[in-house]
Amino acid sequence: MPRAVVCYKWVPAENELRLDPVTRAVDTSSARWKVSDYDRNAIEAGRVLAAERGAELVALTFGDAGAKASQKDVLARGADRAVHVVSAAAGSADGHVTAHALAAQVRALGDVEVVLCGEGAADTYAHEVGPRVAEVLGWPVVTNVRELAVQGERLHAVRVVGGDLEAVECDLPAVVTVLAEVGPAPIPGLKAVIAAGRKPGEQVAVDALGLAPDALAPRTVVTRVTGYAAERSRVLLDAGEPAERVAALVSALTETGAL
Amino acid sequence: MTADTTAMPTDVVHVVAEPHEVAGLVVLALSADPTAAVHVMCLGVPDPATAQALTGCGAMSVVVLAAGAPVPSPGLDRPEDYVPAVAERLAGATPGLVLVPATVSGWEIAARLATRLGCGLVSEATSVRRLPDGGWCAERTLYAGAAVQGLEWHGRAVVSAAAGRGGPGALPPPDAGGAGSGGPVALETVVVDRDTRVRVTSRTSRERDAVDLSAASRVVCVGMGVQTLDDLALVEDLARALGAELACTRPVAEDRGWLPVDRYIGISGASVHPDLYVGVGVSGQVQHTVGIRDARTVVAINTDASAALMGQCDHGLVGDLRELVPLLAGAVRAAGVPS
Ligand SMILES: Cc1cc2nc3c(=O)[nH]c(=O)nc-3n(C[C@H](O)[C@H](O)[C@H](O)COP(=O)(O)OP(=O)(O)OC[C@H]3O[C@@H](n4cnc5c(N)ncnc54)[C@H](O)[C@@H]3O)c2cc1C
Repeated sequence: MPRAVVCYKWVPAENELRLDPVTRAVDTSSARWKVSDYDRNAIEAGRVLAAERGAELVALTFGDAGAKASQKDVLARGADRAVHVVSAAAGSADGHVTAHALAAQVRALGDVEVVLCGEGAADTYAHEVGPRVAEVLGWPVVTNVRELAVQGERLHAVRVVGGDLEAVECDLPAVVTVLAEVGPAPIPGLKAVIAAGRKPGEQVAVDALGLAPDALAPRTVVTRVTGYAAERSRVLLDAGEPAERVAALVSALTETGAL
Repeated sequence: MTADTTAMPTDVVHVVAEPHEVAGLVVLALSADPTAAVHVMCLGVPDPATAQALTGCGAMSVVVLAAGAPVPSPGLDRPEDYVPAVAERLAGATPGLVLVPATVSGWEIAARLATRLGCGLVSEATSVRRLPDGGWCAERTLYAGAAVQGLEWHGRAVVSAAAGRGGPGALPPPDAGGAGSGGPVALETVVVDRDTRVRVTSRTSRERDAVDLSAASRVVCVGMGVQTLDDLALVEDLARALGAELACTRPVAEDRGWLPVDRYIGISGASVHPDLYVGVGVSGQVQHTVGIRDARTVVAINTDASAALMGQCDHGLVGDLRELVPLLAGAVRAAGVPS
């Protein structure tokens, strides 16, 4: 059976980060984690495509032990199988390392005709891993896709490139990165969540992939992450008649010189 | 992108860009380090006027990569297709920073070049600096603007820098004193094989709007809470009363197509710097609010007092926009606010 692979990233919810009030260092420990936003659209696009092609949909992630918790969600979203390439050093991996780990697992799966990725991850938004995976595999890549179809062995896509819509085609196998606009990612229903419990979630140690040490050596090192805090007056006008609230706003804006 | 390269040996910067993007990136490289040796690889043949400008752009050399057979039809050429040719030439060149514009095509080119060169990538750097030990450090935005990330590396790296967004990551305009130290150079044209695996079958322009939101002094922003075209008309009227530019969140432009994509604000859209920003039915996700940080006063109109924008505004007007927006437009007109 041919396979479609969706690569996804397990990230902390950006609206649940805590900031140290003094150093503004970012603390992710109390944040919920989630499948990166656009990767959910990629999973849904992959689900539709795999169903059309009679292909198996594999949801693939590279992460530390914590990313195992993502597998239930991606299986509920329609993946037939979830594979987690585990590395204790994933937290300090860069795009180079991540792409080599993902590509090696794609090769290990075999029979893969398409790899889908989100256009950018919710945390780094570097637009990096999709095209890197394509280069490691030696496959063509089509980025920033809002429409996608496969006919025979050919992929047709519409890319958003600045102000242009660019219709392209290429032969499979290929890597595709998708925009949210490729299609909404529905929240899985109860049936899908229950069915997910019966689907396989696999853990593969990154060391089992036979990668050269150089492929696992990060090129860039993160030295710090500093949060941003908005400094605004936050006056809520929530009491009184609507006309009074509006009048209070207009006089406040006039007083502060904003109007 | 800014840089501080005090007392550092001359850096080599390879600018890899389409003809119209080259000058801006050379200026950027030279403003980061006036002594940098900048070498340009131009993806595709420039028109005569651009070619003329490139001879005096301040680079030490300009190589034009021209498509070998099969030559693509006009308009169907892709800068991405020059990646193998660029990578091959860079592999043999003096290592240094490879600077690529942070555009959709640039993102792909940057990631593919970094992979082919086996080096690191800093996507959308907002600053790059030389370290005393000869390494580099850079900053970039993380969590869609909720944080800034500092990175370090040694040796070669590909860096993409944001163009035309305003703010510290923006490219200076091409005429901002680009005629650097080098004097005029002759363009060298090299015919190269392209990567023809991805073929363009058609290209159409999306509806564009020549609006420059970054220059607006007042902005009224339409969010998804504005649910009908009648509601939209109310918000448009408020913008008229305020003499404000109309803007929107991404889904209003990309999903609903109510406003041209040039009018959405955020990490993947415009950044604004107005005296007054009014968000109507905008929830205030960080991907959007990163674009309104420089607004002097932020007003939120939302039924939900716990919406994220309510925690990041100066004045939060809680209630239904269908009721509040016409009242506000009327009050603004009654107050005789100069627009
Ligand atoms: C990688 C990435 C990049 C992104 N880039 C951008 C970007 O550049 N720009 C951008 O805008 N978004 C961007 N987004 C999307 C962003 O995360 C939010 O989804 C989007 O900004 C939400 O738009 P909204 O506030 O209009 O809609 P919603 O979040 O749906 O909010 C609608 C609001 O309207 C309120 N409302 C409903 N009815 C009424 C009423 N009658 N009166 C008053 N209020 C009402 C609701 O309470 C709600 O708060 C990006 C997302 C990702 C993952």
